[in-house]
Amino acid sequence: MTMADRIAKPAFIALVAVALAFVTLPSVVVVIVAFGEKSIMMFPPDAWSLRWFERALTYPDFRKGMVNGLYVSAWASLLSVAVGTLAAYAIDRFAFKGRALLEAILLSPLVIPHFTLGVGLLLLASTFGLARGYSVVVLCHLILVVPFVMRSVYVSLKNIDPMLERAAASLGAPPLTVFLRIHLPLLAPGLAGGWLFAFILSFNEFTATLFVTNNTTQTLPVAMYNYVREYADPTMAALSALLILATALFLIIANRFLGLDRILSIESHR
Amino acid sequence: MNDTARPTLLPWFIAPAALVAMLLIAALAMLFQYSFREHLPGTLEVGGVTLENFADLGKWLYLRVFFDTLTISAWTALCSLLLGYPLALALVRCRSRSLKAAILIAVIIPMFTGDIVRTYSWLIVLGTRGFINGTLLGLGVIERPFALLFTQTAVIAALVQYSLPVIVVILAAAISHINTDYEKAAESLGAGPLAVLWKVTLPLSMPGILSGTVTIFAWTMSAFATPQLVGGGKVNMVSNMVYHLGFASFNFPFAATLSMVSLLLIMAVLGLLGLCLKRLERKGFTG
Amino acid sequence: MSESAAAPVNDIALSIEKVVRTFGTARAVDNVSLEVRRGEFVTLLGPSGCGKTTLLNLIAGFLTPESGEIFVDGAPISGLSAFERNIGVVFQNYALFPHMSVAENVAFGLKMRKVTRPEIARRVQEALEMVRLPQMGERRPRQLSGGQQQRIALARALVIRPQLILLDEPFSAIDKNLRAEMQVELKTIQRQVGITTIFITHDQSEALSMSDRIAVMAQGQVQQFSEPIDLYRRPANSFVASFIGEINRLACTRRIEGDRAVLECGPVQVRVPTAQAPAGAATESMLYLRPEALRAVPAGSAEANLGTGQVQAQVYQGTHVDLIVQADNGWLLRLREPGFAALDRWPVGARLAIHADLAEACVY
Repeated sequence: MTMADRIAKPAFIALVAVALAFVTLPSVVVVIVAFGEKSIMMFPPDAWSLRWFERALTYPDFRKGMVNGLYVSAWASLLSVAVGTLAAYAIDRFAFKGRALLEAILLSPLVIPHFTLGVGLLLLASTFGLARGYSVVVLCHLILVVPFVMRSVYVSLKNIDPMLERAAASLGAPPLTVFLRIHLPLLAPGLAGGWLFAFILSFNEFTATLFVTNNTTQTLPVAMYNYVREYADPTMAALSALLILATALFLIIANRFLGLDRILSIESHR
Repeated sequence: MNDTARPTLLPWFIAPAALVAMLLIAALAMLFQYSFREHLPGTLEVGGVTLENFADLGKWLYLRVFFDTLTISAWTALCSLLLGYPLALALVRCRSRSLKAAILIAVIIPMFTGDIVRTYSWLIVLGTRGFINGTLLGLGVIERPFALLFTQTAVIAALVQYSLPVIVVILAAAISHINTDYEKAAESLGAGPLAVLWKVTLPLSMPGILSGTVTIFAWTMSAFATPQLVGGGKVNMVSNMVYHLGFASFNFPFAATLSMVSLLLIMAVLGLLGLCLKRLERKGFTG
Repeated sequence: MSESAAAPVNDIALSIEKVVRTFGTARAVDNVSLEVRRGEFVTLLGPSGCGKTTLLNLIAGFLTPESGEIFVDGAPISGLSAFERNIGVVFQNYALFPHMSVAENVAFGLKMRKVTRPEIARRVQEALEMVRLPQMGERRPRQLSGGQQQRIALARALVIRPQLILLDEPFSAIDKNLRAEMQVELKTIQRQVGITTIFITHDQSEALSMSDRIAVMAQGQVQQFSEPIDLYRRPANSFVASFIGEINRLACTRRIEGDRAVLECGPVQVRVPTAQAPAGAATESMLYLRPEALRAVPAGSAEANLGTGQVQAQVYQGTHVDLIVQADNGWLLRLREPGFAALDRWPVGARLAIHADLAEACVY
């Protein structure tokens, strides 16, 4: 082994550590600053307090944003699971005219800039008089989140033994029964994970939401944006800390249901 | 797939999704339509059909924004690759399941915490009283804080953190598909870890590298919150321009034009990626 | 005699007529016709890619034929989807529904047929007893061993009282030691129930031991469809001869002399009735002889009719010893001697002569 080889492993570990630090640093900093006492943000804080957490949880705009967010995300995630599951199932298993086109359109939000979609929906809504009501926001999130649901359904479908369907058919089950009695129960864990993903993504979505909401319908991220433009105190830090924690928790739970590494297809073939 | 006869309820499965798809197309069609309309200053009304918006694209002010967007996207893609590859490698080759899950969750959390929370945390890291300045001041390394915020570098750094989850996932998928037998063969023939990496792992993960880098490039072009907050008005990408035009000047027609051109650029870049990947596949790079 | 009046007029349970199925440019099933009698155990045997699985899928309804027709009890079924046919299928990897209990799995087909609850419970228990797993009803499939899962799969397919049952290499995932036991069990149940059975395998010893008749397939076509013993002793062509069991392939030249075909290779000359040799002018031929049709005799013995040679190797197989003999005329022969006496009688290097039972010879 050369000198370079000898330091390769420790250097690699160091590099990975640096990369991980880079990724997690901002979150850690936010959490620390959130406990600062002074009303200007500083690192490290010279005094500690919980008062910004209190303010974050009681600030009316944040509360409204939270409620709106929960409402919109609940609807968007439920609808997307229904729409996305049915569509992904049909697309994956049956051939029909326009199948490729439908799939391409449904998955396209993965590559369409959120601001483009936001502007487009805003213009569409105002033309039809639905400007910036709750339905626009729900539909916007629905469009954005469906690709993720479909992806998770595809992954779950792949893990179901294809012979099960044939066995059921040989025993007399028509296609709908196969879907309801065989596939749906086996897809359930994957759907639960997909629903959680959809909810998290919708709740935290900012860019497109900024375009399609107004003061009444604004979700939490938009409310936070408006706050930051006016105030520079650690309230936002406190709220962010809470959200980071909640998101991490949700992801750990979703991982149990679906296995994040499978939906993102990182499996080592050993 | 079997020769299963199409079930009679199939249309019911597809109909809801078809509606969603139509909504999406309608939104894009609106954009298309608006970009050809004349902006009536001071009002939300739009005038007749015109090609003026496209002519305006040629102005240096707007060309510069496109140029900046492309530059930022390119740098972000490159840095994401350099940081992301080791992470992806660690993720795939790590033997401990809990460590693997920990790395994965740590890397993925930024993707899910949302633009606003994530971008805001960079304000704290880079601010004059933030993490970097605060630590350096506290350690006595510097006497006055640096102006780190509102620079292109700051925006790129924040964007890299956002992109890492995506590129790590793509790279990890590519690396995990490389049969470890190739690396073992190289080792048995005398290659040390660096040689194996350089001569076997990297080349065989080339499709993933290409795919990841270009995906980040295309994706970064659509970034909004990061340049909006971390750029603070001094660093403008196309998205910020669109927002400004729409909500400050109410010039939706031109905003629509910019949005559409962005979309077309991204599609073109991704289309090019698809072609390159097909060529790589023909040359046998699909380890 | 009144019984035959009650029995179906047509004794044919399954009739496949000129069925063709292509994938891309290749004909997976190439103009296949077969008739299976009621209660018969027929095996489709062949190497992978021969079309046996495709044919099974066509009968079950998972694929549709491009041309030709399939009749079950006289009625055409090609227009029926898989779930409309009354055919039981047992899969290679069992395909038991993982989210249902064993009892629910077995009951599934009955539920589809809207059988009443008490009747379902009774028939499920009956089926479980038939496969000798009466206590397993509440377990989940993953708690069962491979052999047990396969028996449940069989119970599930039989409980619906199908017109026929298809088994797709059901034992290939089973431990070798368990396999023999399960083969006997399957045959017992099949005889008991009297159900027409189509069995698929690539393992010729499995086919030979279980089947009433075997259809040997290659390249989408049926090479021969007959009883195991006919397949073994009177293979229809060189493929079947080589595929079933072990055989010696001996190159020779052929000419006709009256009612005999004379086969020559070097100094060795044999005469077989022309009925055993193919017609036609070709002179290059292959003489096929099973190892057990050959015997070692002392050199110079009057019984020798296939020339002389020297022992190259001995292969001890427990019940018999195979002698690999390099014949003087160039042939490489495998002789089969029962027991183990040959180990001492004919050591490596010994010279011997060969006696062949020419009644067992095939020529192609």
